[in-house]
Amino acid sequence: MRSAPLLFLLFGAAFGYLLSRAGATDYDAYAGLFLFRDLQLLYVIGGAVVVGLVGIALIERRPPAALFGGGPLDLSRKPLQRGLFTGAVLFGIGWGLAGACPGTALAMLGQGKLTAGVTVAGILAGTWLYGFIQDVRSGRSGTPDTTTSSAPPA
Amino acid sequence: MHPDAIWPGLVGGLAIGLYSLVQLIVTGRALGCSTGYGNLCGLVSRTAYFHQGPYEDTLNWRFWFTLGLPIGGLLAVVLHGDGFVATFSLGPLYDAVMPQGTVGKSAVLFAAGGLIGFGARMAGGCTSGHSIVGMALRAPSSLLASVGFFVGGTMAVQALFRLTAAPV
Repeated sequence: MRSAPLLFLLFGAAFGYLLSRAGATDYDAYAGLFLFRDLQLLYVIGGAVVVGLVGIALIERRPPAALFGGGPLDLSRKPLQRGLFTGAVLFGIGWGLAGACPGTALAMLGQGKLTAGVTVAGILAGTWLYGFIQDVRSGRSGTPDTTTSSAPPA
Repeated sequence: MHPDAIWPGLVGGLAIGLYSLVQLIVTGRALGCSTGYGNLCGLVSRTAYFHQGPYEDTLNWRFWFTLGLPIGGLLAVVLHGDGFVATFSLGPLYDAVMPQGTVGKSAVLFAAGGLIGFGARMAGGCTSGHSIVGMALRAPSSLLASVGFFVGGTMAVQALFRLTAAPV
């Protein structure tokens, strides 16, 4: 399963649609969540995790091959990398201020929320800055390098 | 408080949880929304970091998934809402406490986005990859990241609403 543009475009659209239906593209939901007045999104994440826990546990018993392409399923856990918690808190601060995250911001943009577009631009900038700093620290200079990183599998 | 057009939280959670399992079983790929921004960076910049590892093939699955997200949002408002409505509002709650002018509001949103993007890379993922998928995989990193996400979000919103003396 390499790129399959149309398939993943459809999956992305499906997820964006579900995020919207679940209320994750409503700014008020984030204010409500972190003010402890409206736990809608907590139920969304909590519900998703419970379903996921059961599903993953079942899959792990005898992992099937992927329906498209027949490759292995990615059951990898993200590493406990240096700076993880700090990064998570920084993410959280941005998340709370923007009322959006990487996925919902794009879905919101599709709805016409231009404010989310500004957030998306900021996410791109922040992402780029991280990569730029990594290059500086490892002495890269515009030349692709196959140095291993704790980045996810391609 | 919510428009009638959305599902109850647990229903939305069930749907999203099922979705992540479906994506995994059908494609073999784990749900995630932040790494794809690195693909977009690789598209417009020659910064080496975005041309190696998971970004070596810029137009990989994540690129297309990321592009699909806004289409999903559009579909939702066309089918269930008022269609595509261009707005610079953040909803009544945020609008009351954020800068009123376009420039000020944009500055805060851009900076917040910067924290989201940078923080996600530091943490190795966002709420999709860590909180939805990672916790389902029982990954300690994802539990830790999720705690961090919520700590940060709570601090930011509590400060934002209290410091602006909005009725909380």
